[in-house]
Amino acid sequence: MADPAAEESDEALAARAAAGETPAFDALVGRYQSRVYRLACRLTGNEGDAKDVLQEAFLAAYRGLRGFRADSRFSTWLYRIATNAALMHRRAAARRPTEPLEAYLPRFDGDGRHVGEPADLLAASRADELLDRKLLAEKARAGLGRLPDIYRDAFVLRDLEEMPTADVAEVLGIDAAAVRQRVHRARLMLRGYLSDLVGVKP
Amino acid sequence: MTARPVCVDGVELLMDYLEDVIGPEDRKVIEAHVSSCPRCTAFVESYRHTPRIFRAATIASLPGDLADSLRRFLASRR
Repeated sequence: MADPAAEESDEALAARAAAGETPAFDALVGRYQSRVYRLACRLTGNEGDAKDVLQEAFLAAYRGLRGFRADSRFSTWLYRIATNAALMHRRAAARRPTEPLEAYLPRFDGDGRHVGEPADLLAASRADELLDRKLLAEKARAGLGRLPDIYRDAFVLRDLEEMPTADVAEVLGIDAAAVRQRVHRARLMLRGYLSDLVGVKP
Repeated sequence: MTARPVCVDGVELLMDYLEDVIGPEDRKVIEAHVSSCPRCTAFVESYRHTPRIFRAATIASLPGDLADSLRRFLASRR
């Protein structure tokens, strides 16, 4: 059976949902639940927290539908809710402090030149060939967890969810230049982290 | 940027370069440096691969029972 909501825009569905039409909201949940769950896994680092974030985000969206402004996009609005829910979750969990990733930033000599041989500088590119898939998944999750919140949020949205920089800026409420700066910093640290995983000191 | 850029200058502008938000002059000097510097060539390559590796390693699919429990959860709070 064809989904009657299939052709309808997110924003039109949101407007109907805000007017009390429950099936319209259900259609939005159907459209976004997989993406929100994947985002939540990446932001929280574990399935249990991701499940909570998934529920909290859609509940907050449902309750906040009247505050949704039709001139913004539903997806951006929902991602903002989910990202904030994940952040609250991480704070509430009061995890034990982890070792920061600053040590993995690239190193330069006194003249501003890279330290290390080209083959070593390249090593991170092959982390997925050199490491067992399961181990890499575990380490990738741990690495994301060691990023400061503001870098992780920007990196996950921009590079893992592959949102355009302008959309990430809207979700995070910062300008595009700040998004680029945060994503860049995250990439530098995670690149060094991958190098370390394959046995090369960054 | 300095007249003769070194690796650290290129790294600083790398994201802006890849997103194409730097001026043509900066673009030219970065390209000139990277193409003549094997270390930067290697570094840029690994920098570009980092998001792809993390993306593939953190793929998660919504379990079917979770979709069901989300539906029940939302229905119970309406």
